[in-house]
Amino acid sequence: MNTPLDDEETYDVVIVGAGIAGGILSKQLLARGRRVLILEAGADHGDDWKTYRGYLDQFYLTLAKVPNSPYPNLPTAPSPSVLDISSVHGTAPDNNGYFVQRGPMPFGSDYLRAYGGTTLHWLGTSLRMLPADFETNSRYGQGIDWPITYKDLLPYYEKAEWEIGVSAEVEQQTPEALGIHLARPRDGDGYYSEGYQFPMHAIPCSYSDNYFAKGADGTPISTGYRTDFADKSEPGLDVVKIKVSSTPQGRNSTPRAPLEENGGFSVGGERVEPFKPRGATGSFAFTGQRCEGNSACIPICPIQAKYNAMKTLADARALAENTTRKPNGADEPDESNARVADIEKSFRIRTQAIASRVELDVNNRVSGIVYKSYLFPGVPQYELRRARGTVYVLAGGAIENSTLALASGLCRSSQELGRNLMDHPYMMAWGLARDPIGAFRGPNSTAGIESFRDGAFRDQKAAFRLEIGNSGWDFAAGAPYSDVKNLVENDNLFGPELRKRLYHYVQRQVRIGVLVEQPPDASNKVTIDPAYVDAMGEFRPIISYDISDYSRAGLALGHNACMQVFQRLGVKNYTAYNPSDNGYLTYDGSGYTVYGAGHLVGTHRIGNNPKTSVTRPDMRTHDHDNLWMVGCGSMPTAATSNPTLTMAAMAFQAAEAIDRALS
Amino acid sequence: MMTANEFEFGIDDFIAISTVLTGYSRAELLGTGCAEEYWHQFRRVTPEHILVEFLENAAKLDRMQATDPQAVAEEIRSRYLSSEKFGPLARTLIQLWYLGQWVPLPHAWRRSFGASRFDVARVISVLAYKEGLVWDAIGAHPVGAKQQGFGSWAEAPPKGGV
Repeated sequence: MNTPLDDEETYDVVIVGAGIAGGILSKQLLARGRRVLILEAGADHGDDWKTYRGYLDQFYLTLAKVPNSPYPNLPTAPSPSVLDISSVHGTAPDNNGYFVQRGPMPFGSDYLRAYGGTTLHWLGTSLRMLPADFETNSRYGQGIDWPITYKDLLPYYEKAEWEIGVSAEVEQQTPEALGIHLARPRDGDGYYSEGYQFPMHAIPCSYSDNYFAKGADGTPISTGYRTDFADKSEPGLDVVKIKVSSTPQGRNSTPRAPLEENGGFSVGGERVEPFKPRGATGSFAFTGQRCEGNSACIPICPIQAKYNAMKTLADARALAENTTRKPNGADEPDESNARVADIEKSFRIRTQAIASRVELDVNNRVSGIVYKSYLFPGVPQYELRRARGTVYVLAGGAIENSTLALASGLCRSSQELGRNLMDHPYMMAWGLARDPIGAFRGPNSTAGIESFRDGAFRDQKAAFRLEIGNSGWDFAAGAPYSDVKNLVENDNLFGPELRKRLYHYVQRQVRIGVLVEQPPDASNKVTIDPAYVDAMGEFRPIISYDISDYSRAGLALGHNACMQVFQRLGVKNYTAYNPSDNGYLTYDGSGYTVYGAGHLVGTHRIGNNPKTSVTRPDMRTHDHDNLWMVGCGSMPTAATSNPTLTMAAMAFQAAEAIDRALS
Repeated sequence: MMTANEFEFGIDDFIAISTVLTGYSRAELLGTGCAEEYWHQFRRVTPEHILVEFLENAAKLDRMQATDPQAVAEEIRSRYLSSEKFGPLARTLIQLWYLGQWVPLPHAWRRSFGASRFDVARVISVLAYKEGLVWDAIGAHPVGAKQQGFGSWAEAPPKGGV
């Protein structure tokens, strides 16, 4: 029997996971004078410039440039990869990669276990949910209502937008400006607080976004028959009009200047200084203070103009340095071991430390977290240790939180732990525009069509948003690599003609992504089984997943909307869904192919009722008084917004609740 | 090894045939800084007697491009692209320059002309990725490198197509 060694230091808060949730919690709690330990399973401090350059080189050298391609997939702390996904047949699970997939649909999303977490490869889209999204059950009879409302979350959305550094204009982001046909128009009132401003100005829309806006804005799309919700011009039809809108993005643009000199901004009820864009962490801090158009947000922003959690973690460390600094009059930074140890008493991040079991005492309170500390990322040998604190937080993402909690026998009052796993099933439509539209330039997406994110149709069909891509058919068809191959090997072109045809072919590529709402479903779940463990003996996530007819109906409507936009613009449609695709599904006689959006939501949802939820509205678990579960897993529904911003806002709420608990 | 007398072709001929096949000038190809690496890779995979034949007319074709592009195109199609021996090599070479990647030769070719352990799919180097001609050809920049500047994406794309 291997007995864990106890860590010397006991902290106020022990957090599992050095991603955005863990980052925000640490920064907020350190600012309130709390002492914090983070256990991160992954390795490679990307905040060291050598490592980050290593990530970038790995991206250049990888043939399949998928979201996790720049980052090492450690045998000691494996990450799921989209390359491991295959169709699930019969009763035998797909056992290709880190996930064990039970189907019937493959779960198509990945995440990254590393310092900084999946924000290293996120797109940066930072959308708020809509008021209706918090009560889809009472309004549309779908999903479940949140125990909190949009108004409750509003001040925290502001804090999250200023933490991430979101570039957008308030007047372009109201539901009305987005062309959303709100089922209850009054939802739009007070969507933004009076006088609220985003920290930075909007990222410019791409040439291709403007091409879509000019050509397709106003195109009416019927969502289905609803006589009680009729558009006067077309009686009997609920009609949504296409409106292309700039997307709020977590990437640096031009910081907003206050209206008066020395003025500030109001954020979450507090007055703050104008936003200072943070560039890359580590010694490349001079880069990344503004997006330069590397067009590689996914999988890696070379200059870190795109937000990643390493920035918040660096802020947290700076706070720890400040609060522990002794007035000794020296200008030289003290990097002695004694000084480092001093800082680490206040804030310590242990990477290469896999949280293995959460231990409970007789009162059902957490008494420690046993973790496996490994020296070499390639060698599955470890030292077993135990971290102790007053409060414990699982912030490792929806799936890792569930496997750890399940492995530790936590949260058994409800049967909901690990259930209600959600994503945004992601479908694409692609085609060739009549003229060059500037593909492969700029952030991967700078605009979307948000018009379908709410509406009376939600009682029958899932809402969705359309994301306008700036990178041609890269995700859709592997462009421009596949184009070179086709033109050379099938069209038998060479020389000047090849060069010319490549331009005309790739420059006209357009692609729209449909991200559809997926309501919670108890049978979409994460479980564990001793038959499936990784090299370190940790449980691998076993995933059961399907996409309901409600979401499929939304996908079908989304597909029709894309086709109508193409028809309006004269885009030649090349969209093709093949029954042999891993994510192929059918609805109403038509077939579609879906992928994961990387939006892993659900599994430990918040709620007032301990029988139907895992965590309380402040993300404290119902069953264990000093244990919190924070992250996208806390969200009862996924709605249509990319979840990171909402999760970040909730992390601010959780930090306040934890601080109160410690007082 | 062949002696200098038997084999008088070198990187110049490799560049010459590459200009004809890619549609990029000698200066543009040398400007990538990848010519040496590509030549090295190409030579490692191609048996020497085939290499000699492949490069035999390269210099002449390159010279003829200015005066008689029709004849050059005819020669490329008849002697290279439609040849069992040279076709796959030419197509892999074009993709090498455009993508910075080695595209493995077809099995049939390996069976007939010899397999090499270097004939595997890979990105040749970090530089090769960034210098892939495809990015220039499509009027963009390599994804993740040679960024065009804040807001550049809002401007009309460059006129292209040579």
